[in-house]
Amino acid sequence: MLRRHATFIVISLLTLSAAAAVLLLRGEAAFRHAIEATWGLVVTVAPSIIGGLLLSAALRQLVPPGALARWMGAESGLRGLLVATAAGMAMPGGPVAAFPVVLVLAQAGADRGALIAFVLAWSLNGFQRILVWELPILGHDFALLRLLCGLPLPVLAGLLARWLPIRWTPEDAPAFKPAPDKP
Amino acid sequence: MTIGVIGMWVLALGALFLCLRRSPTVARRAVNEAGTSLVRVAPVMMMALPMAAFVSELIPAGWAERWLGPDSGAAGVALATLAGSVLPGGPFVAFPLVLGFLKSGAGPAQMVALISGWAVLGLHRTLSWELPILGPRFILLRLSASLVLPFLAGLAAEALLPLFPGAGLR
Repeated sequence: MLRRHATFIVISLLTLSAAAAVLLLRGEAAFRHAIEATWGLVVTVAPSIIGGLLLSAALRQLVPPGALARWMGAESGLRGLLVATAAGMAMPGGPVAAFPVVLVLAQAGADRGALIAFVLAWSLNGFQRILVWELPILGHDFALLRLLCGLPLPVLAGLLARWLPIRWTPEDAPAFKPAPDKP
Repeated sequence: MTIGVIGMWVLALGALFLCLRRSPTVARRAVNEAGTSLVRVAPVMMMALPMAAFVSELIPAGWAERWLGPDSGAAGVALATLAGSVLPGGPFVAFPLVLGFLKSGAGPAQMVALISGWAVLGLHRTLSWELPILGPRFILLRLSASLVLPFLAGLAAEALLPLFPGAGLR
């Protein structure tokens, strides 16, 4: 409870400092421009936030705990990291969709290495973003070079995450609400 | 962008339909859990989203070509990684910015590091989405496991650059 408020306070302070810096260094017009851009962003992402959280909550009811343990669990080895990487690249939607899905995967038995590989594969090499944004804007030579250099990173990060002594369970996530036992 | 959102809603409603077929109680529980998550997640997001807009107003003009040119080498790659990590906004902000940098003379390997730094470390995405949804411990784990990787991607791009002559200025 306290930690969640601490997060809120830290973020608020960061945003307010950035706002003050814009106001002082760039003037009032830039400040107003930033506020307008924020409003546009909120309107754009609100449907994805609600859709993403709904998807996550519904999937958590459907996927039985431990269902993915064989594929992405702690014993899944390199194959588990490759499966998680492929799943991350195929994952559509923005961060609001991908991070709630991490909760689903974790509850279904994916270990921390697989979760990290999934997040990295999605954020670095998500197919949808490459096709919709990177390829048209930056051209195929650059996009291919960038993809080639990014391809091994999720597996590397997954191996590192398994080796690091930092534990994480879905109960550590603020958005996680354990399902109450059925009466 | 909108196609992604529509796709997600189709998936979400499909999953909700499967819950409903199992039993109305299960479907109601899914909706309740989604609502609880939203209430917990929204305040931090609403404070974090304006940060992207403010930070993009603070980026000085002309810094990329001065510091991230093709001859800036490993130091340029490291600096680009760092710059990518504080680059705000989604792909609709980041890719047009990178195009602008490339056109004004930034090196392709440095831009690979910048995009990788943005995608992997992206401070703004971490604070607005990952922190409210997954919590600080997950971020600690993920950042520890991936901190040096964008830099490595930049170095790899530098080595592979001769194979991709079209990666630079178009």
